[in-house]
Amino acid sequence: MSAGPYNYEYIFKYIIIGDMGVGKSCLLHQFTDKKFMADCPHTIGVEFGTRIIDVAGQKVKLQIWDTAGQERFRAVTRSYYRGAAGALMVYDITRRSTYNHLSSWLTDTRTLTNPSTVIFLIGNKCDLDSADGSQRDVTYEEAKQFADENGLMFVEASAKTGDNVEEAFLETAKKIYQSIQDGRLDLNAAESGVQHKPPQLGSDFTPNKDPCSC
Amino acid sequence: MTGITDSESDASSVSKRLNKILETRVENDTNTLEGLKELSVFFKENTLQSRRNLRSKIEKRSLEINADFLSAFQVVKEKLDSVYNDVKAMNESVQIMTTQLHSTKTHTHRLIEQTLKLQSDAKKISMQQQVAEAFIGQFQLSPEQLALLTDSNISQSFFEALDKVHSIHERCRTLMQSGLRTVALDIMEQMSRYQEAGLDKLYRWAQFHCKGIESIEMSNLLTRAMARLQERPVLFKYVVHEYCISRRAVMVQMFIDALTSGGPGGTPKPIEAHSTDSKRYVGDMLAWLHQAIPNERENILLLLRDCSKEELSKDIDEALSNITEGVCNPLQVRLETVIQQETSPSNLYSVISLLKFYHNIISSVIPGSVLESVFIEQTSACRKQFFSLLEDIVAKMLQDRVEAPPSNLTPAPGVLHLLALLRQVLSVASVTENRQVDIVKIVASVIDPLLQAVSLSAARLTTTDMAVYLLNCFHQMASTLALYEFTDQRLERLQAQSDAQIDTLTSEQASSLVANLNLGPIYTILQDSSDAPLSQIPGMEPECLDSFFGKLEHFLMMPDMLLLPQINYLQSSNHRLEIQRRANEVISAIYRQLYQRIHDPKNMYSNPSHLMPRSPEQVHELLLGLKEPKKNENTSGIISL
Ligand SMILES: Nc1nc2c(ncn2[C@@H]2O[C@H](COP(=O)(O)OP(=O)(O)OP(=O)(O)O)[C@@H](O)[C@H]2O)c(=O)[nH]1
Ligand SMILES: [Mg+2]
Repeated sequence: MSAGPYNYEYIFKYIIIGDMGVGKSCLLHQFTDKKFMADCPHTIGVEFGTRIIDVAGQKVKLQIWDTAGQERFRAVTRSYYRGAAGALMVYDITRRSTYNHLSSWLTDTRTLTNPSTVIFLIGNKCDLDSADGSQRDVTYEEAKQFADENGLMFVEASAKTGDNVEEAFLETAKKIYQSIQDGRLDLNAAESGVQHKPPQLGSDFTPNKDPCSC
Repeated sequence: MTGITDSESDASSVSKRLNKILETRVENDTNTLEGLKELSVFFKENTLQSRRNLRSKIEKRSLEINADFLSAFQVVKEKLDSVYNDVKAMNESVQIMTTQLHSTKTHTHRLIEQTLKLQSDAKKISMQQQVAEAFIGQFQLSPEQLALLTDSNISQSFFEALDKVHSIHERCRTLMQSGLRTVALDIMEQMSRYQEAGLDKLYRWAQFHCKGIESIEMSNLLTRAMARLQERPVLFKYVVHEYCISRRAVMVQMFIDALTSGGPGGTPKPIEAHSTDSKRYVGDMLAWLHQAIPNERENILLLLRDCSKEELSKDIDEALSNITEGVCNPLQVRLETVIQQETSPSNLYSVISLLKFYHNIISSVIPGSVLESVFIEQTSACRKQFFSLLEDIVAKMLQDRVEAPPSNLTPAPGVLHLLALLRQVLSVASVTENRQVDIVKIVASVIDPLLQAVSLSAARLTTTDMAVYLLNCFHQMASTLALYEFTDQRLERLQAQSDAQIDTLTSEQASSLVANLNLGPIYTILQDSSDAPLSQIPGMEPECLDSFFGKLEHFLMMPDMLLLPQINYLQSSNHRLEIQRRANEVISAIYRQLYQRIHDPKNMYSNPSHLMPRSPEQVHELLLGLKEPKKNENTSGIISL
């Protein structure tokens, strides 16, 4: 039915941030298209993707802004934090430098987003930590500790195999939804990163009387 | 045997008759028995008398019986007569009835015929009625439906009524094909009228509803209405336009809020809080717009979700263009302010860079929109302002600051300052799209006047000082430009200009060496092609040569000793080394020539190897720090002496 794609009650805005090459665009593609793009070009500025998900029985449309990690785009990408309901902060478990930069990414996120923005830490490329010949450069434990100390949610994921990719996006949405339920996130506030669509939308729609016959 | 038989047959016939009589049984003759029984009634005594009288008695008795019978029959006859009379009367009545019946019958027959006829008529009529009702059902609206089309409410049933109008209109084609042209046309006209009225009402309703569309709250009635109105492009466009006007106002309000109020509790800060940081201010505004557009697209898709999707994308693009038109003015005013007030060319170029970046995005998201034209205009205004600012700064700097070269011949502070500025601008420009033209122009706007100024200020210096100073400046420029793309031509030109200065300095240095080593006269004589033995030419005597060899020995031990002091001011060690190398090559070449001539017997030196203990190779190695390439008689540099 044509009305299908429009049946959702909320729009959540996400940003994905982190050093260049950590796999931000791959994570987005894995989440929206369920595909791994092995030779994904560097992102120029920002890219945009959407997907409708189910959170506690409600349909939520995620509007995801994938930012470029290259330093030269920092001036552009910093402007996209504004009004994000969720921020996925990504590092590469095989490159310690990308982990070391997390605190600066976190500072940016804290100063440029709302206090209620949910920040989710993702250690990407965990597929490269295979039993034979691991390329791991950052242990799970230290990253977990960093996340705990800073009140972040955390998983290790792989955009290649799809491991934990759904979880990261969905858990973030759940947390945002909880914030709405608890009233911590004010939908009416400007730049909350969440848009509410009235629930009657689509519910009284009668599919059998197709008005498009004209 | 025969005789016997005859006599036997006569006897048998008699006996037969006898037997018959014998066999006759009175008891079997009922008549006789009856008669005898009767007789016994009155014949009591069997006397002669009585036998004689019997006949008469029987006859008398017969008479009596007949008389009785007669009288009895008389009664019967009378009765019969009366029956006869009754029957006769009945017959007459029946006769009358029959005639009456007959006449009635003829009468009734007509009635029945009439009734039958009426009945069939009635049947026909009721059928016609059914047909008519069905026709009306198929080709007319019910009064309720008609009311739905014209009263002020819109409901689901309204759409059903409108559907019906539509289908009636469609059916009229069939009607027309079946020959009912006039009726069909009449009905079609009527339906068209209803449809117009219905759509007109729908249009007003939808327009009214779009007017107040504050949130994205959209009823299904509205989305259905839009689908209907799609049939009337003009009305459809009006409604979409009305919607756009509302959304436009909402979007402007949200933009202003983001600019002035920021997020909940002031985090993130309002965009205008950073208005002094042009890069951030403009970047935030443009990113905000970029992110607002998908939402507006979402909303309009929602409004038009029931519409047929063909050709809709153009309408959607137009609508988005229309909606985003509202923010154009506030955006433009702010951009203009930034462009006018920004005093740093590199910041200004950052703004250009942002405008170009977002122009690209906007032109793919809402091509041909007013917003896009704002980007085009502002980019060009910003570019203009940028170059004029850059030129002003360069001109001012060159006027005030490009003073006389410092005594150590390093580039004057003004030069360094401008090059730093160039570096800043280029580092921004080098990450901008379509940068080649701009980069070439930026480089030209700084380097061209700078070269001029530098040449002017160097003109007052001595040849050597000037060459050193220019080389230092060129070097500084080249090392600035080398970091960026699209500067190759510029670098080539600088290289050529540098080479000229290097040549100058090489010959200065070589001349200085020749003079300091007292090599001048020797060199002149060497070039002379006189046939006289060299040892006999004045100035070429071994004693004279000794003074040169002594100085040379000294020089070979400390090659830097005779370097012109200005050469040490060269900032590029490459330049320094090249000049030194090439000047030393000159000396090495002269030495080799001298060596060959002195060792030539015809020049009649008594002990050449005592006179010149060092081989040319040794000298070359000492002067140039490397073994002389074999058979390389490169004496370039001598020519300029
Ligand atoms: N093995 C492995 N490779 C990955 C994974 N995710 C991404 N990659 C590879 O890492 C490289 C960079 O991925 P991108 O998604 O382009 O990285 P990015 O963070 O978007 O980079 P920028 O756009 O420059 O900021 C690509 O070559 C991917 O193939 C992963 O989970 N496992
Ligand atoms: Mg990317």
